[in-house]
Amino acid sequence: MIFCHSLYRQFYLAFALMLFFALPAQAQTFGAQSASLENGMQVVVIPNPRVPVVTHMVWYRVGASDEAPGASGMAHYFEHLMFKGTQKIAPGEMSKTVRRLGGNDNAFTGQDFTAYFQSIAKEHLPKLMEMEADRMANLAPPPEHFASEKNVVLEERRQRTENDPRNLFTEQMRSALFINHPYGTPVIGWMSEIKTYEWEDVKKFYDAWYAPNNAILIVSGDVTMEEVLPLAQKHYGPLSPKTLQERARTEIAPAIGKTHMVLQHPVIRQPAFQRIYVMPSHRMNKQDALALDVLTEAMSGGSTTRLYQSLVVNQKKATSVSMSYNSTALDYGTLWITATPAQDVTLEELENLIDAEIEKVLTEGMNEAEVKDAIQRLQDDAVFARDSVSGPAMIFGHALTTGSTIEDVENWPQDIAAVTLEQVNAAAKTYLDPQAPYLRPPVTGHLLPEVQE
Amino acid sequence: MKHFVVFFALILLSACNAKAQDRFLDIQQVTSPGGIEGWLVQDDTLPIIALQYVFLDSGTTLDPEAKQGLVRMLSNTMDEGAGELDSTAFQKALADHSITLRFSASRDGFGGRLKTLTRHKDKAFDLLKIALTAPRFDTEPVDRMRNANMTRIRSSLADPDWIAARILNDRMYSGHPYAMNSGGTLTTLPAITPDDLRDFYTQYLTQDRLVVVAAGDISAGEFQMLLDTLFGHLPAQGPEDIVPGADVSNPGTIALYQKDIPQTVIQIALPAFGRDHPDYYALQVLNYIFGGAGFGSRLMETAREKEGLTYGIFSSISDNRKIDLMRIGTSTKNESVMRMLEIIRAEMQKLQTEPVPEDELNNAKSYLTGSLSLSLTSTDKIASVLMGLRTQDLPADYLDHYADKINAVSAADIQRVARDILIPEKMTVTLVGTPQLPEGLDNLVTITDIPNAE
Repeated sequence: MIFCHSLYRQFYLAFALMLFFALPAQAQTFGAQSASLENGMQVVVIPNPRVPVVTHMVWYRVGASDEAPGASGMAHYFEHLMFKGTQKIAPGEMSKTVRRLGGNDNAFTGQDFTAYFQSIAKEHLPKLMEMEADRMANLAPPPEHFASEKNVVLEERRQRTENDPRNLFTEQMRSALFINHPYGTPVIGWMSEIKTYEWEDVKKFYDAWYAPNNAILIVSGDVTMEEVLPLAQKHYGPLSPKTLQERARTEIAPAIGKTHMVLQHPVIRQPAFQRIYVMPSHRMNKQDALALDVLTEAMSGGSTTRLYQSLVVNQKKATSVSMSYNSTALDYGTLWITATPAQDVTLEELENLIDAEIEKVLTEGMNEAEVKDAIQRLQDDAVFARDSVSGPAMIFGHALTTGSTIEDVENWPQDIAAVTLEQVNAAAKTYLDPQAPYLRPPVTGHLLPEVQE
Repeated sequence: MKHFVVFFALILLSACNAKAQDRFLDIQQVTSPGGIEGWLVQDDTLPIIALQYVFLDSGTTLDPEAKQGLVRMLSNTMDEGAGELDSTAFQKALADHSITLRFSASRDGFGGRLKTLTRHKDKAFDLLKIALTAPRFDTEPVDRMRNANMTRIRSSLADPDWIAARILNDRMYSGHPYAMNSGGTLTTLPAITPDDLRDFYTQYLTQDRLVVVAAGDISAGEFQMLLDTLFGHLPAQGPEDIVPGADVSNPGTIALYQKDIPQTVIQIALPAFGRDHPDYYALQVLNYIFGGAGFGSRLMETAREKEGLTYGIFSSISDNRKIDLMRIGTSTKNESVMRMLEIIRAEMQKLQTEPVPEDELNNAKSYLTGSLSLSLTSTDKIASVLMGLRTQDLPADYLDHYADKINAVSAADIQRVARDILIPEKMTVTLVGTPQLPEGLDNLVTITDIPNAE
């Protein structure tokens, strides 16, 4: 609901400005500034004056993992419905208006967040805010759109997942890993469940979660906090906060057996190995997450690092190998190892060689130069990350909706630089030891042609 | 110095529209003492330099048919060892200085890009120079890259979009070198030797084919001298370009590759025309209205918003050097494939028979002109814009006049181009899936082998 308490606006604005703070200059990677509106909406501005454009994003602290059991995909389906009009604006009209003004718009849903964004010439920022604030409170899609948009989502699932068994397999590996935790359910939802919920269910979800005090406004580009805050106050300030329910999350159940999954399928021609571990997220354990960032970069940050050099260049048992760690999650992080075997190498042999590499790290540790080089590359990545308007907004949105702070993002290069060889080796032992798995053993998958060649 | 932002008027007067600007992009054109031309947008906001270079008409189109993938393999191996540095030493030098140095091959050219932090620029330029002057093509990395390509092909054989692209390429470019698979095939990749790579490198990476641009933290003076350092040693001239122009083949046919999946991938090609045509801008506006816009385009409105048949449907203009075409791509459940084809045909016909309403036309123009600055939001993107101008032989002030050209397009122009281009009978259609089709479609061709893959 929008309240037109114009008399109070000046007060709100003054109050909001008091909360506005900036980080000390030496700690800044992106130079982000943060403030809060009276209604609890956080405002983040990342100034970048290179081009007179802005990326405007609103992130909600709600995602697929906040859905009720049996209603998988609802957060994402709802995200689609957010484009279907309000009491003021016709279905699709917001996107058309953004296009007419020379901008692009879209949205995405994750396990822990839902985000809506537009990139546009900076003078159109007020119009974006007006429309985004409107749909935060006044969404009113005409009923004839519910079913057709449901069909769109079903087509999206077919396109992303059902049409390629490799994607179905990856989905099922996640599911096997996250027993009793919502991360095991795909964001887009299960086909059978997507079909079940109706507008009344979805409306409850909207009413429960879409509120200024559950939202973060992020504006990146050729603007300052002094420009953005009054606009934010004008458009988002009048929205009423809501009493938010707790984001009750379950814990993954212990699994004592090893989980090994195999998919043999007629369309698979290239065997592939993949393994997923549950890891701490940045929120759960910042220090270990930083050490794991360095460990994975040192193990697999390009063709000169350990895994590729050993398996692909020297032993010639694989044609590709990678290890990637995702720490951006409200609950658990994940670490994937994927590899494709060279011709005539079985997946069993490849898996043993990968295990041997892990064993080597556990017993001998990484070396000083590997860690130092990895840290340097990660720090340089942070400089390259500034070379974008939308990219930094994405980084902050992911961080702030998964329990990290602005300082965590701004100080990340310094925090990474402080990671020691000992911490990296300790992280490997804590999280990769097959004899003493963290929370539960990883899930290993083998993708194979129907008849193994 | 900040040469780049020229929207000061806009910043000061946010109510004003974009006409207040003088130059959209401050492009500096330099010529090296050795006669190599380069375009630059200097911007020292960040300590980052991006360089892009391409050798035109030196692309995968020149692959011998039995060695498809040759030029792609060249792009994979030019950064795998040069001069004194073997593959690992070269890659290590890049990684240790956070330098991105990549080569790439398209149908129309062989090129690459370099991105570096200013503090490592000397190292970056040096590594690019030796890669261009003294690539090694050692057997080990050549084999490794070959194996990686073959793995990629075997993996892609599970991907219906990739299969559809192979079939459409084969059919729409039938009889022309464009029909080959730029990425090679499982048979042709093993035939490629280090000597093949060396021969191609020697013949086609020549100054007469070269286009270079730069953006970021480098001065015009330094860039000017750098051009000779990096490229001055290359041969002045290469062989004449003998690849002929052609039109889209197999019009009016539907090629079907049966695959047991719930959704059919639909890819379509139509003959179009290039930038030298007087209606080029009308074609751009038409494409935007028809399917280029994404949300709000006619195809998206009907197929997705009204009928819920697909997650996405897009059209695009492929302005290649030899064959110009329009492409349409979408996917829908097997049951609704015929309905989707009907929608595509109907939207084409509607644009032929009814003039585009004034407001729809104005909205399209407003996007096409108003979104230009979104293409300048990073050093890489600016370099890409420069490269786009140069490879299409456009003047440096092109972007300053782009809005006028777009705004001059009328509803009648669009209808004329629709009648020329949006002709349902000329569609070359590829379907991958298990579509429900009516009996007795006389233009249906069944494909059982994926062309240029095995």
